[in-house]
Amino acid sequence: MYYSAFLRQLTRTVCVFILFNSAVLHAAQNSITNNPISNLNIGLTALFSAGGSTVDNATISDLQAGGHDPAKNGFTVQNVELTMKATVDNYFDAQSNFIFLIDAAGETVVELEEAFLTTRQLDGGLQIKAGQYFTEFGRQNVQHPHSWSFADQPVILSRLFGGDGLRSQGLRLSWLMPTDWFSEFFIGAQNAKGETVSSFLNADGEDVAGYILTDRNARDSSDLLYSARWLNAFDLSDSISINFGISALQGPNASDTDSNTKIIGSDLYIKWQAINSQRGFPFVAWHSEFLQRDYEALNQTDPNHQLLSDSGYFSQILWGFKPGWVVGLRIEDAHSEGDNSSDPTRDDRQRVSANISWYLSEYSKLRIQYNRDEAQHLVDQTADSIWLQLEFNMGSHAAHSF
Amino acid sequence: MKLLYKLLVGLIISISSSNASAVIRIEASTQDLAAIAKSVGAQYVNSNSLTLGTRDPHYAVAKPSMIRRVHQADLILLVGADLEIGWLPLLLKSARNSRVLPGNNGYLDLSDSVRLMDVATGSVSREMGDVHEKGNPHYWLDPRNGSKIAQAIAKRLSLIEPAHAAEFKANADAFSNTLNSKYAEWKKALQGLKGKPVITYHNSLLYLAAAFDFTIAAQVEPKPGIAPSAASLASLLDIIKKQNISLLLKEPYYEQRSSDYLQQHGGIKTVVIPQSVGAKEGIDNYFDLFDKIVMALTKEG
Repeated sequence: MYYSAFLRQLTRTVCVFILFNSAVLHAAQNSITNNPISNLNIGLTALFSAGGSTVDNATISDLQAGGHDPAKNGFTVQNVELTMKATVDNYFDAQSNFIFLIDAAGETVVELEEAFLTTRQLDGGLQIKAGQYFTEFGRQNVQHPHSWSFADQPVILSRLFGGDGLRSQGLRLSWLMPTDWFSEFFIGAQNAKGETVSSFLNADGEDVAGYILTDRNARDSSDLLYSARWLNAFDLSDSISINFGISALQGPNASDTDSNTKIIGSDLYIKWQAINSQRGFPFVAWHSEFLQRDYEALNQTDPNHQLLSDSGYFSQILWGFKPGWVVGLRIEDAHSEGDNSSDPTRDDRQRVSANISWYLSEYSKLRIQYNRDEAQHLVDQTADSIWLQLEFNMGSHAAHSF
Repeated sequence: MKLLYKLLVGLIISISSSNASAVIRIEASTQDLAAIAKSVGAQYVNSNSLTLGTRDPHYAVAKPSMIRRVHQADLILLVGADLEIGWLPLLLKSARNSRVLPGNNGYLDLSDSVRLMDVATGSVSREMGDVHEKGNPHYWLDPRNGSKIAQAIAKRLSLIEPAHAAEFKANADAFSNTLNSKYAEWKKALQGLKGKPVITYHNSLLYLAAAFDFTIAAQVEPKPGIAPSAASLASLLDIIKKQNISLLLKEPYYEQRSSDYLQQHGGIKTVVIPQSVGAKEGIDNYFDLFDKIVMALTKEG
């Protein structure tokens, strides 16, 4: 049964490509979006923050290691994001996200965050994504900063995936399995090089735990970053839904010519929503992720070879207590094996955050967040910070994703 | 080799056509549409709703379980006019089911089959709140639109399953006939409401007002989707006094505090209108829906 479905799929895929290449375009799709002609949805979302900490700017940037975190005393332009989404044709949907931000030196930085297409016509529950995109690892990594429930990136994600999250160029196949519950399997390959693939080939001259990275490039397909994810979801009732996922990554790292990195993770998301909710409120959502990295520093043949082991978790609970109002509490822990007490990227670190968010409408948001940091590398071991955050959206209506 | 090829082709054809005589799986965006589709499709359909009648369908989220159901569906029914804009496009994108993509037989937007009220003319801004440019999407609350919805569904089911076209048509006609005679009874029961001005919580009951000849003087929400403030409630009290309004109609999911305030200070009575099939216990089909609405209005009016 599955074999024949696969054959049918193969035939279909080949046909799709032949049709595509001969430029046979079907009649334009009816629109479910703002503009019926081009189907193009354009949106701009801007995220600003203001606040401060009991420590100085240089130290805050170690604590707030996310590339879009509020990371200095005063005002921060966290993320101004231009999004374009459209159905390309009968075969593909596409999306592109451009990010603008102003860095600590006052310079404007532009990033191509994502630009990818997904297939529309594959059968058998299959979908291919291709381009530049966030790796589907856990729940939070694929989320853009404006949809985060807190003002900053979880510590363990900054440590393992870098300030901008894990994203790169590549291809992934996902399969919506024919099970009685929701079950989706992802498998993908991406370039391992670049500062947004920090636990892997990363960029020449960067360092991981004091090991200066070389300019290692992909020699063959074994030098790519491979990812896998299995996501399962259940509705326990009309009010309670659960997502549970496990993810894994394997790829080369640039500490030496043959060294590798493995990362595994698990994520759990449980949401309760009142049966007679107004605008989606009240609700309670609990989101937790655990990650573990094994980083081979130097080749195994090297006498200084070392296996760096880092792990951590974050667990956050959000309570939407009345329409538009959400309070949140997040606890985090990150640590590594060995004595790394002076290294802000690997020391023992705990953070507790509490916040309150006010969604004035579907298009604007205000948030105030308090962080209590306990980190070994800090002189006083602790830091307290307060961040006020403002977001606005223009253009196309944002999606209500689960 | 040739034999193998023939077997393969035969296998592919048999798999692709194995669903042909099976029950048509319908996923509707609301329980109202699911109920009407069940009346029309009868034993040939398995009709379910993606959202619950107890919640405002505009604020639904694209849950994984919904993705799975859309993946398996043969026909998607939507209210349209941007009511589902927050979640249906995302569901369709995630579900990998080309049968139900817009433009195909498996995608039916029922706002195309009725005449929408409040279609935006001139410029629309989000400063005006959640205004639906394409028109007000709460049209299922006029029983006359129920007939149009049923006919449109029958037409579409006939395209998907031509063998039963006559039955679908007969079911839709029977549904319309029952609805017509019941509409006359409901109108009679609500005669006392004729011409009366009322206040509604959200701008969602204008089709109900049109069906039963009452007028809507104002909304509790100062703008669609914007929560009332002390100032907006005070100006509402003015309108209540000036126009001598005695009824406030609201859906069960809206907050109670504002209506309590208006009741206390303006002497207005609140009537909870179950706006959808499934909104209250005992509302299992489209006829139950108006039976219960009429019951609520006659008790209080």
